[in-house]
Amino acid sequence: MDNFKWTRKDLLSLYDLEAEEIEHILDTAEEFKKVSQRNVKKVPALRGKTVVNFFVEPSTRTRMSFELAEQRLSADIININANSSSLKKGETLLDTARNIEALQADLIVMRHSAPGAQSLIAKNIRCGVLNAGDGAHSHPTQALLDLFTIREKKGSLKGLKVSIIGDILHSRVARSDVWGLIKLGAEVTFAGPATLVPKEFENIGVRVCHNLKDALVDADVVNLLRIQHERQKRGFFPSTNEYAKFFGLNEASRKYLKPDALVMHPGPINRDVELDSAIADGPQSVILEQVTNGLAVRMAVLFLVSGCVEK
Amino acid sequence: MPAKREVCNGSEVQAAITRVADAIISEFLSDNPREFAMIGIHRQGVPMAERIIAKLESRTGYRPQLALLDISMYRDDIGMRKSLPIIHATTIPFDMNDTAVILVDDVLSSGRTIRAALDAVTDYGRPELIRLAVLIDRGNREFPIRADYVGMKVDVSDDRKLAVEFNENNGQDGVYEIDWKKYRRGDH
Repeated sequence: MDNFKWTRKDLLSLYDLEAEEIEHILDTAEEFKKVSQRNVKKVPALRGKTVVNFFVEPSTRTRMSFELAEQRLSADIININANSSSLKKGETLLDTARNIEALQADLIVMRHSAPGAQSLIAKNIRCGVLNAGDGAHSHPTQALLDLFTIREKKGSLKGLKVSIIGDILHSRVARSDVWGLIKLGAEVTFAGPATLVPKEFENIGVRVCHNLKDALVDADVVNLLRIQHERQKRGFFPSTNEYAKFFGLNEASRKYLKPDALVMHPGPINRDVELDSAIADGPQSVILEQVTNGLAVRMAVLFLVSGCVEK
Repeated sequence: MPAKREVCNGSEVQAAITRVADAIISEFLSDNPREFAMIGIHRQGVPMAERIIAKLESRTGYRPQLALLDISMYRDDIGMRKSLPIIHATTIPFDMNDTAVILVDDVLSSGRTIRAALDAVTDYGRPELIRLAVLIDRGNREFPIRADYVGMKVDVSDDRKLAVEFNENNGQDGVYEIDWKKYRRGDH
């Protein structure tokens, strides 16, 4: 580990990373987690650096987590959101990014509804770019915090059976988790209604199933995705009640769960749809620890990429 | 000059550690003995601190607690170096407030590592006092910092690197002068 060198100025997708790089982020995050447990929750690692949080698509939790991570690293912060940005006036995305660059910003944390938007920016400007979610494509820091939480609880990802349940089709969380999990040696199952869990994922080595019991019985980790009500209107499933009955983790289905299985959720939870309150707040749930770990992981990633941005 | 030249051998390293331990004993463990803790700065300050503690214990029976400190998050050259430092675990098994602590590192040179360490330590609390113990003072200071306990002074020119090796970490006790132009294994 002592000979490892982080060399990337951007974090765009876990698909791009080697297992060793992912492990290095998680190792680094362990130390940043301790910073938040001290009385003085701040280190000067990014002192003098400017970070721009550029959220073209709305976000509360991810943005809050990034912003707090930046503050704890002593960075200077600017927030730009879609409504107030000149994108509304017809400026191209790249022009906006070049303006940010011209202000000598060092890092851009960006969320956008178009997959690949961050990659486009990253290729064309000097600043480091962190993907905070691009459409249904990727959300690497969410995946990293999931991996961190699993590794912290289970010791290692190797050989673990991880089931991700819900709206896989529209989920950047599932698309990010899967690469990290596979690279670190876990076995991944995607489960949910056939309309929301495409068979094509079998091509990358994921087990696809459309039956909740099969997804739960041998799982070491169960990650439940939020069911978005607007999907129901588009006919992906008949009703949220029916979804809850067949794919929700609840009193009826929890009997299939291994006693030491972790229950995860990227939030926000639809209580009693994909996950019953009793389980969400129960002993197997690590949902709030995911939030805590997200901060540590984001601090680690900001620290690492900031060291690779050219002056 | 060869790429790597021995400056001190194993027994000279041992003698230097003994000098540091003796100086600590005379300040803390002689006439009016009082408690203190030690803080090893990663990486080579850690085996160095362990050696001092072993020596203190065998001479006096007193075994100070040991904290491990990584100062990567406090460096003043992040983004200026070719590569980022690897962050090692910081573990502090005692309350920093009102504790007398002795910082330990292998080589004191520019003083920048110690500047960072002072910032890190004070973020963990308000120690009663902080002392500094080093195996080697090689001069070339850039900050107004000095050590309280020095194992030995070594004169080497600015462009040379001094590397301390301990049995525990990389093989054989010794201090080596390294010509980096000839001896490239990446950044250390």
